[in-house]
Amino acid sequence: MRPFHPEFILTAFVQIIPYLWVTIATMIGTVVFGSLIGLILARANIRRGFVSRVLAQAYIYITRCIPSIVMLFIVYYGLPELMLGFGIDLNNMNKGFFVIVTFSILFSANMAEVFRSAYETIDKGQREAALCAGLSEWQAFYRIVLPQCIVVALPNFTNALVNLMKEGSLSYTIGLIDVMGKGQLMIGQNFGSYSLETYLALTVIYWGLTVIMEKGFGGLEERISKRKKLAAAS
Amino acid sequence: MLEVKDIHKKFGDHEILKGVSLNVEKGDIIVILGPSGSGKTTLLRSINFLERAEKGTIDFKGIHTEFRSAGKKQIHEIRQHTGFVFQNYNLYANKTALENVTEGLTVARRVPKEEAIRRGKEALDKVGLSDRYDFYPSQLSGGQQQRVGIARAIVTNPDVILFDEPTSALDPELVGEVLNVMKTLAKEGATMIVVTHEMSFAQSVASRVVFMDQGVVVEEGSPHQMFSAPKDPRTMQFLKRVLREDFDYNI
Repeated sequence: MRPFHPEFILTAFVQIIPYLWVTIATMIGTVVFGSLIGLILARANIRRGFVSRVLAQAYIYITRCIPSIVMLFIVYYGLPELMLGFGIDLNNMNKGFFVIVTFSILFSANMAEVFRSAYETIDKGQREAALCAGLSEWQAFYRIVLPQCIVVALPNFTNALVNLMKEGSLSYTIGLIDVMGKGQLMIGQNFGSYSLETYLALTVIYWGLTVIMEKGFGGLEERISKRKKLAAAS
Repeated sequence: MLEVKDIHKKFGDHEILKGVSLNVEKGDIIVILGPSGSGKTTLLRSINFLERAEKGTIDFKGIHTEFRSAGKKQIHEIRQHTGFVFQNYNLYANKTALENVTEGLTVARRVPKEEAIRRGKEALDKVGLSDRYDFYPSQLSGGQQQRVGIARAIVTNPDVILFDEPTSALDPELVGEVLNVMKTLAKEGATMIVVTHEMSFAQSVASRVVFMDQGVVVEEGSPHQMFSAPKDPRTMQFLKRVLREDFDYNI
């Protein structure tokens, strides 16, 4: 076995960093679509419609039971087959597409629960008061209920985001070249040497990403609650 | 001006309103009394469509509709011309006192921002909160919150203001400030329907007192008539009970 070369961590870091945008882009795609689906699911779950609620709950239950890597392969192999039935050829589709689809499905199930629990903490009188002031249902939700939901949901959302980032590292298994994929590629090109150094470089990158996310959303949370405290002092 | 006829409302198998009718003229101060569970609050909430009544009709602002079949537009129209004051204030927790008041103007009625702020400040001044514009609900006392609630209800110049036990959640020493604001509104000619347990308010301010029990209007009349010579035994019993308590405090 080769001796440990700490300086290679930097070399690996520099080579991997250009692929950071792939990791971030797939995450953003997943967050956008996953949150959207999550919102729809949460809405179906909160509303009284029996059929939509059962469907939403079934979706959440089933997807939450599937490990990310299994889901990834099901989507990667299954989706093109399915779409071929509709006459759509996905075989040359970018791998990032399958990653975003997979993690959107998984992320949406988590988000649905985050949104639902946040929504349920908001007193229903808030909505009623807004309706009585003449706001429409949508205005009452958008202007009054949603901003309060966001504050409540933020810590759980950040948590889900960090988990998404970590699980996203599995994307290399279908051949996506994100930071993890690039790291794997490098290890392969080096015939398995410098593995430890490469993984340490990856650790630093993921650690950095986590810190940025937690600080960012933590700061946002603080700012929202600070606004109220500031007003108290005046 | 506002007339509801034969409202029926059930929660599950429990019939809360069993055919209540109410006629309100401009400038009326109608106080609804009755033991808890008699359907007073449900009646108010049904008028504003916070609850959907199964049967009955409403006549208001040229709208004539069945409760059951009222459409979105009609409901919106009715809410645009009514104000509602809640028992537990329900101020928007994410907005300041002034924002709470102006929201119904800027968002629901497209009033320009400057005009909304001017009117919002006027409304808050009227309820004695000119030094609390930028406070969040969590920084206000119960009485102050309820006064913001009243400012929010009057700022849109509604044709009728519905009060749902506005002082029931307040500490006793804070009740007075809210009742005083309501009395001022009454003097200025506002039309109000008030569900309350404040007998002195009913006696001194109401133009008509309605006594409800078990989902029906048992008796109604002028405060003088209701308090000095109630006809129905249920009214007598209720008044005897609550007024005796009042005297206990007064003596």
